[in-house]
Amino acid sequence: MDVIKTKGVTKIYNPDKIPVYALNGVDLLIEEGEFTAIVGPSGSGKTTLLNIIGGLDRPSGGAVMVHGQNIAELSDNQLIDFRKDYIGFVFQAYNLIPVLTAQENVEFVMLLQKRSKTERQQRVAELMDAVGLSDKMDRRPSELSGGQQQRVAVARALAPKPTFILADEPTANLDSKSTENLLDIMTRLNKEENMTFVFSTHDQRVIDRARRVVTLVDGEISKDERRD
Amino acid sequence: MVPILAWRNLWRNPTRTLVLIGAIALGVWAALFMTGFATGMIKSYINNAIDQVTSHVQIHHPKYALDQDVRFTLDQPEKYLARIQENEAVKAAAVRTLANGMISSAKGARGIKVKGIDPADEAALTGLDQRIVEGTFLEGKRKNEILISRSMAEKLRAKIRTKLVLNLQDLQGEITPAAFRVVGIFHTGNKPFDEAHVFVSRKDLNLLLTHTGEVTAGVDEIGHEIAILLQDASQADQVKADLQGAGGKVETYREISPDLELYESQMSFVSIIYLSIIMLALTFGIVNTMLMAVLERIRELGMLMGIGMNKAKVFFMIMLEAIFLGLVAAPAGLLLGISTIYFLGKYGLDLSMYSDSLEMYGMSSIVYFDVPMKVYWQIPVFVGGTAILAALYPAYKAISLRPVEAIRKL
Repeated sequence: MDVIKTKGVTKIYNPDKIPVYALNGVDLLIEEGEFTAIVGPSGSGKTTLLNIIGGLDRPSGGAVMVHGQNIAELSDNQLIDFRKDYIGFVFQAYNLIPVLTAQENVEFVMLLQKRSKTERQQRVAELMDAVGLSDKMDRRPSELSGGQQQRVAVARALAPKPTFILADEPTANLDSKSTENLLDIMTRLNKEENMTFVFSTHDQRVIDRARRVVTLVDGEISKDERRD
Repeated sequence: MVPILAWRNLWRNPTRTLVLIGAIALGVWAALFMTGFATGMIKSYINNAIDQVTSHVQIHHPKYALDQDVRFTLDQPEKYLARIQENEAVKAAAVRTLANGMISSAKGARGIKVKGIDPADEAALTGLDQRIVEGTFLEGKRKNEILISRSMAEKLRAKIRTKLVLNLQDLQGEITPAAFRVVGIFHTGNKPFDEAHVFVSRKDLNLLLTHTGEVTAGVDEIGHEIAILLQDASQADQVKADLQGAGGKVETYREISPDLELYESQMSFVSIIYLSIIMLALTFGIVNTMLMAVLERIRELGMLMGIGMNKAKVFFMIMLEAIFLGLVAAPAGLLLGISTIYFLGKYGLDLSMYSDSLEMYGMSSIVYFDVPMKVYWQIPVFVGGTAILAALYPAYKAISLRPVEAIRKL
């Protein structure tokens, strides 16, 4: 089943002055359960592509179908609701809410979704257990290590049961041990829950674990390698 | 979750939040202090004027107010006085005989208003007997006793037992001189009043006003004014209505002295003026702090919108932060203000060092602070309104962020 489908996606910065083509006609199809790394040199358009797929940015041209919906046609508020229900984000700098505990961070999007308290509590316990932080539920982000914070971010991204997870350089700020730990968790979730993951990364350890590697160069897909 | 998030956001930087709460609380306290002080001053002026000059209600001959001619006396005032004193709203009442004239000593002369009083009634009405600072109140032991004020005594260089000459126009229109002996010196704390009035026995004054002519009425029954003190100033209009037809023109203190009505109406606005000025100044402080709080977490706000928090909720969260700020600050300021007002309302603020200036304006040198009850609900409304207004721009700024740009900011 197609989860993400882009057709001729372009992104042009400064279209009226000196146009910069960040993406130049990207066609990409990602199916359910894929574990895909988008790689490429700096400035190749990895993050831009991820932002457009995630509905955080709008393309200058082309179509972005997510879960059968052309998200380029949605209004800002519709996009926010769409992201809440269908997409989980893991950011490079963790981006947890500093005034909430780990548990509350994971619970947050489910509250926005108006899920019942029982359902929320059950899901939080399940996810915190899955990322190995059951004993750190009441810690605030400042009381957790970088690796632990990123694991909470993964749990938060999974909490609303999204269609797929977008992770922008998720291991960039982690040491080797934390990176391996995080990748173990994500690989397991991918296999056990058939969760679709799409990464942008420079990290060879992530690339080595990916089952599909899409290489971007100058805003175009130069290579699409499957390792199944 | 949004209220919890807003509350915790408020305490991210406790020092900054506490400084702002302190500023708002201080503003509320200052507004209460200024309102209490101004209202206390105004009330002091009004009460002094009512106590010493106007009472709550007065009755005169309908033409008396035109030129204060001594011939416009009330018809049988004693009869009406008895009726008035039966009214439950009336605390005290007295008949006075009034005359304009000249008082002179060997050292000088001054124009004055002579008030002929029945000592016991006047004592109950104005407490003049309590304001004697030297000598005695009118005791009626001798004929032609006079009370003059301390400032008058200084100007005439008079002392107790000094003989002073009064020149008055009697009921026949003749100028009549008479010698009076000072038995007491009073000080009311209202300098304009003290410098313009002397008190003699009504009986003595009535004899003086009638001695050149043939008086048809009994001498004791001559009177120009019935002054009435009420249990409560708010009953003035009702009592006026009750007394219509009581042998003369009935007026409340607001009609006799329109400046009192003006001051009374000003009391309603004083707090609003002070609150508006202080809150306007505070608005900039709140805007500045809230804007800083928003700008320093742009990435986080972008992330919140990124993961699905809609703009309405983000806007609500910022507004709630400001409202919480007001909810903490306003009670703190109110508590501080109420304690201050309670203390200064009970013991007063002693401004004796400015007593000369204050007495010039008919005000007491001790100001008892007073804050109308409505001010205590005006303050939360003003603080809440200010906090909401001040948070509008930062909240708008927050929802104007584009998640992708906000998240990118590092």
